[in-house]
Amino acid sequence: MPKEAALEGFTPQIGTEVTLEQLVERAFDYRGNVTVIRRDGSSVEGYLFNRNRDVADPFVEMFDKDGHGPLTILYGDIRTIRFTGKDTAAGNSYAAWLRAKEAAKKASVPPAADA
Amino acid sequence: MSVPFSQMWTVASYVVTQRLRGRRRYPLVLQLEPLFRCNLACAGCGKIQYPAQILRKHLAVEQCVAAVEECGAPMVAIPGGEPLMYPEIGRLVRELVARKRYVYLCTNAILLKEKLQEDVFVPSKFLSFSVHMDGVREDHDEAVCRDGVFDQAVEGIREAVRRGFRVTTNSTLFDGADPLRMRRFFDEMMALGVEGMMVSPGYSYSKAPDQEHFLRRQRAHELFSQMLSSPKRQWRFNQSPLFLQFLMGKQDFECTPWGIPTYNMFGWQRPCYLLQEGYAKTFAELMETTKWDHYGRRSGNDKCRDCMVHCGYEPSAVNHTFTSWRGLRDAAVATLTGRL
Repeated sequence: MPKEAALEGFTPQIGTEVTLEQLVERAFDYRGNVTVIRRDGSSVEGYLFNRNRDVADPFVEMFDKDGHGPLTILYGDIRTIRFTGKDTAAGNSYAAWLRAKEAAKKASVPPAADA
Repeated sequence: MSVPFSQMWTVASYVVTQRLRGRRRYPLVLQLEPLFRCNLACAGCGKIQYPAQILRKHLAVEQCVAAVEECGAPMVAIPGGEPLMYPEIGRLVRELVARKRYVYLCTNAILLKEKLQEDVFVPSKFLSFSVHMDGVREDHDEAVCRDGVFDQAVEGIREAVRRGFRVTTNSTLFDGADPLRMRRFFDEMMALGVEGMMVSPGYSYSKAPDQEHFLRRQRAHELFSQMLSSPKRQWRFNQSPLFLQFLMGKQDFECTPWGIPTYNMFGWQRPCYLLQEGYAKTFAELMETTKWDHYGRRSGNDKCRDCMVHCGYEPSAVNHTFTSWRGLRDAAVATLTGRL
């Protein structure tokens, strides 16, 4: 199972690489769209925002890629989950902003004249 | 302290009523997030990292009002995202004010002047603009990752004060904050005519881009002690004095994670505004089925170990004030003398 930063593009096989419960937890924590493949072969692409294992029939909830929902899918109906969308929490925008600001500061200071 | 008497009375009578009814857990403030869309991407924010279809969505006003009624808290904070980008923000605020809820509209104020000039809002004792200001100009612009935002916010504050609105500021402090610059910032904000200020340490959201600059507990005590000791007479804080003493290390509280519950398009967030460990469909389900003993410092939960954020600890301070003689005495002394 790859670390969170490397989940984008991950297409796991349940049973060999990861358990269903582990996979759902990762999908729940992932801030990008995923594709849930059902056992009947159908699929839903969208944002998985909730899961509940503490009920008789554990389920996940999603908004699809057009924003429709929430859709409820039972754990028992899931064959696998693919991390198909961009991870919107990945990246390092603060560091990038600081670098850009530092570069701008340097660019605005005229070079010191030779003595 | 600057919380108006009518608001203080409403909160005090609400807390006492809950206790008399024997309710062990009750909310003080509802955090209502009508949308996640924002016109900034601040380094410390873990609230806006979502796919496009989620950022395009927002709650209907009717959903928001239903959540407010269901929760029953006397105060409602509207953060986001940026609530001034919510297309029906004027109607939402009117509905909540009509229900006599004290509304704190938490905004970066980039759009505030424009919305005020469009007469989207009417001044009311129930409405306060809580403007996000993380320090003096250079510190704030660095925290929000965009130059010029401090000046825009100041323009918005001036316009709101001029029109007779209640205005407060809210500041999230990170490691590296300079106590002397923050004291200068408090002077600046009071000179603008704001009713009061709110401060809180930041929380290390797992989804926030900047993970290096969040305050650890001991460091937070040092910073807030340096910043708030010998407070100037003109400084006013729109929050519990006992919470400020807690930040300074002079009071010790346990977290009250149900004190400020959060509702957004996903439902009722478990367990609090900061941690995102699932959603309940109803407020009753949130209160009844969340494993509250898994949260707070005593639980040993790593995610709660260093947290000192207002959404967990300000309700503890308020409850302590209105449910113990010692708490009432400490709060009264701090309020009357201005000493923390």
